Amino acid sequence: MENKNRDKVLEVKNLKTYFFTEDGIVKAVDGVDFEVYQGETLGLVGESGCGKSVTAFSILKLLDYPGKTVEGQILFKEDDLLKKSEEQMRKIRGKEIAMIFQEPMTSLNPVFTIGFQIAESLKVHYKMSNLEARKKVIELLEKVGIPIPEQRVDEYPHQLSGGMRQRAMIAMALACDPVLLIADEPTTSLDVTIQAQILELMKTLLKQFNSSLIMITHDLGVIAEIADRIAVMYAGKIVEYTDTRSIFFSPLHPYTFGLLTSIPRLDMEMEKLESIPGVVPDPLHFPEGCKFHPRCGFATERCRKEEPSLLEIENGHIVRCWQVDRVREEAKKIAFTRRLAVVE
Amino acid sequence: MNNSLISIKNLVKYFPIKKGVFRSTVGWIKAVDKISFDIYNGETLGLVGESGCGKSTTALTILRLEEPTSGEIFFQGENISSINKKQMRKYRKDLQIIFQDPYSSLDPRMKIKNIIAEGLAAHNLLDSRTRVQKVGELLERVGIPPDYMDRFPHEFSGGQRQRIGIARALALNPKMIICDEAVSALDVSIRSQIINLFKELQSEFNLTYLFIAHDLSVIKYISDRVAVMYLGKIVEIAPKDIFFKNTLHPYAIALVSAVPVPNPDFKRKRILLPGDVPSPANPPKGCRFHPRCQKVMEICSQVEPELKKLDKDHYVSCHLY
Ligand SMILES: Nc1ncnc2c1ncn2[C@@H]1O[C@H](COP(=O)(O)OP(=O)(O)OP(=O)(O)O)[C@@H](O)[C@H]1O
Ligand SMILES: Nc1ncnc2c1ncn2[C@@H]1O[C@H](COP(=O)(O)OP(=O)(O)OP(=O)(O)O)[C@@H](O)[C@H]1O
Ligand code: SF4
Ligand code: SF4
Ligand SMILES: [Mg+2]
Ligand SMILES: [Mg+2]
Repeated sequence: MENKNRDKVLEVKNLKTYFFTEDGIVKAVDGVDFEVYQGETLGLVGESGCGKSVTAFSILKLLDYPGKTVEGQILFKEDDLLKKSEEQMRKIRGKEIAMIFQEPMTSLNPVFTIGFQIAESLKVHYKMSNLEARKKVIELLEKVGIPIPEQRVDEYPHQLSGGMRQRAMIAMALACDPVLLIADEPTTSLDVTIQAQILELMKTLLKQFNSSLIMITHDLGVIAEIADRIAVMYAGKIVEYTDTRSIFFSPLHPYTFGLLTSIPRLDMEMEKLESIPGVVPDPLHFPEGCKFHPRCGFATERCRKEEPSLLEIENGHIVRCWQVDRVREEAKKIAFTRRLAVVE
Repeated sequence: MNNSLISIKNLVKYFPIKKGVFRSTVGWIKAVDKISFDIYNGETLGLVGESGCGKSTTALTILRLEEPTSGEIFFQGENISSINKKQMRKYRKDLQIIFQDPYSSLDPRMKIKNIIAEGLAAHNLLDSRTRVQKVGELLERVGIPPDYMDRFPHEFSGGQRQRIGIARALALNPKMIICDEAVSALDVSIRSQIINLFKELQSEFNLTYLFIAHDLSVIKYISDRVAVMYLGKIVEIAPKDIFFKNTLHPYAIALVSAVPVPNPDFKRKRILLPGDVPSPANPPKGCRFHPRCQKVMEICSQVEPELKKLDKDHYVSCHLY
């Protein structure tokens, strides 16, 4: 893929983050590998509990007890973050890698003005004076489309609407020109017209800043819109990893395939929604073999016994499944009608 | 309309804004402000709109769980908007509601068999043995093993709890079920299971649905007709196919264009609305959408548009039409 020539910003290798709970070990992230290139957006998708947020927290080393990264490497500009001290991490967080959370209220402090909070990282990382920082903050607020920024800069988070708060969060994340942004469901709690505003804004700013983004979401529509490449997670592992068009038009993993046929959509007429039977497995009692096998229509005896590994099936298309050929045939039928249905 | 199960005329629901030590009323939140529409027998009417536009208030007022400020609600032709609580009881079993969060709507201390049979008991229907049998049948129908009936809500997953909520709603053989964001909190793979269950049950039990959701893709899949709300008003109602082929209200057009589509090749013109939804305590004069509308005209800030019938069954409230 063309990415091979671009600079790798982040490389996550065999990341394992477990929670050591009273009931047992929750293998929240269990051997995850991916990379992020300069200027691209990598989408991390999957259903609730599959390990998306824990992956993000692991990268920034923000895990709380009883969570612990037990194995792996997180190479950021070729340096392993897992080997860094807390003090070194503090220099990276907010400056080189910034994060945007789902609920801005949890990451904005209610007792400080938004201007103060955004200026904070400028003062810490760039040693700016109050006046310089304030000027820069107003500039940033303007960039993220907050009207009358000279006034808004002195307001408290509760004085802003949900959409405006998320804009302020984005301004805060971009304040120090981070190389990498991690956005964990940044639009999930917003209304769709506001979500559309924020997505457009993120796309524009990413180009402007030439930053890379890891976009975490469970919304396949959002991911189709913003991601260059996508990693689909299931039960703590990546099950499919490739460019966005391949995920949507020629998925090779039964789970991805199942997700795509279970979502109602605006772009085509659907007679019937498919659904994936059963539920996501309890992380304390993962099934033997392929973790998806109890829900998988393609499962065979082998799937119940042996866990498949992630393999590059086609150029840059990486899949964790024993039955890729059968899935490909099925997906072709569906993908074909899908494409036909796209009338512009 | 004689095949209307529910008919709402000029329904208004204001909530008082109270301030100060004496809790005096300083203003009103105009949650639902003079809306009229019908829900036809056996159909699914999808009600869509953004947070705070009044969808839940509409639902609760229809059920008289909130008292209407003014206006009328007819159920099978009978005016139920001003009858007293006792008279209302006889309609209760016909009108059920399922909420978004199945967890908070199921009493955590009750076994699910008692949760499901609660309505039967309250209406003195069936003896206790037949009740248990009925609970078993209902559980089976919604896809939960009947021998789980002695378990408590926390022993079930989100999708299963929603199934339990559905079983409870079905227990009294209702005519209509209002689904208020009933699938919104569920994961994709579980959501489609529940949507399909709703569809199957509809034909099996001859149900009418008022299906409230903020996700237009879900609304498109499940509804026969679509109603769009904005700031306490219905701005457009039409049969689904007509609505999606020929969306007319500028807000509805923007809403449709904002929905993310899981197709990277799907190209369309997206209308980005400026600003936020104004407060329902202080809605803009004239057309409530006018400060954000790209098609705004002179008249729009002065005169409130009426919901007008354009084509057969296509209603829009906008001065453009
Ligand atoms: N503090 C904790 N203690 C125990 N288990 C935890 C803890 N935090 C997360 N987990 C578990 O780790 C797994 C992965 O959680 P994670 O938050 O990464 O999911 P997610 O993919 O972000 O889901 P969502 O879409 O719901 O945000 C889940 O099974 C979760 O229950
Ligand atoms: N009991 C109440 N007291 C005061 N205000 C209320 C009450 N219930 C609702 N409101 C207000 O009425 C308006 C409409 O609320 P409603 O819950 O009907 O919206 P909704 O369309 O269901 O939104 P959502 O999509 O967030 O569920 C909102 O401004 C809300 O804050
Ligand atoms: S390995 Fe087997 S069970 Fe797992 S996804 Fe592939 S076909 Fe299904
Ligand atoms: S009435 Fe005027 S402001 Fe309102 S939607 Fe129509 S054109 Fe826009
Ligand atoms: Mg998460
Ligand atoms: Mg609501």
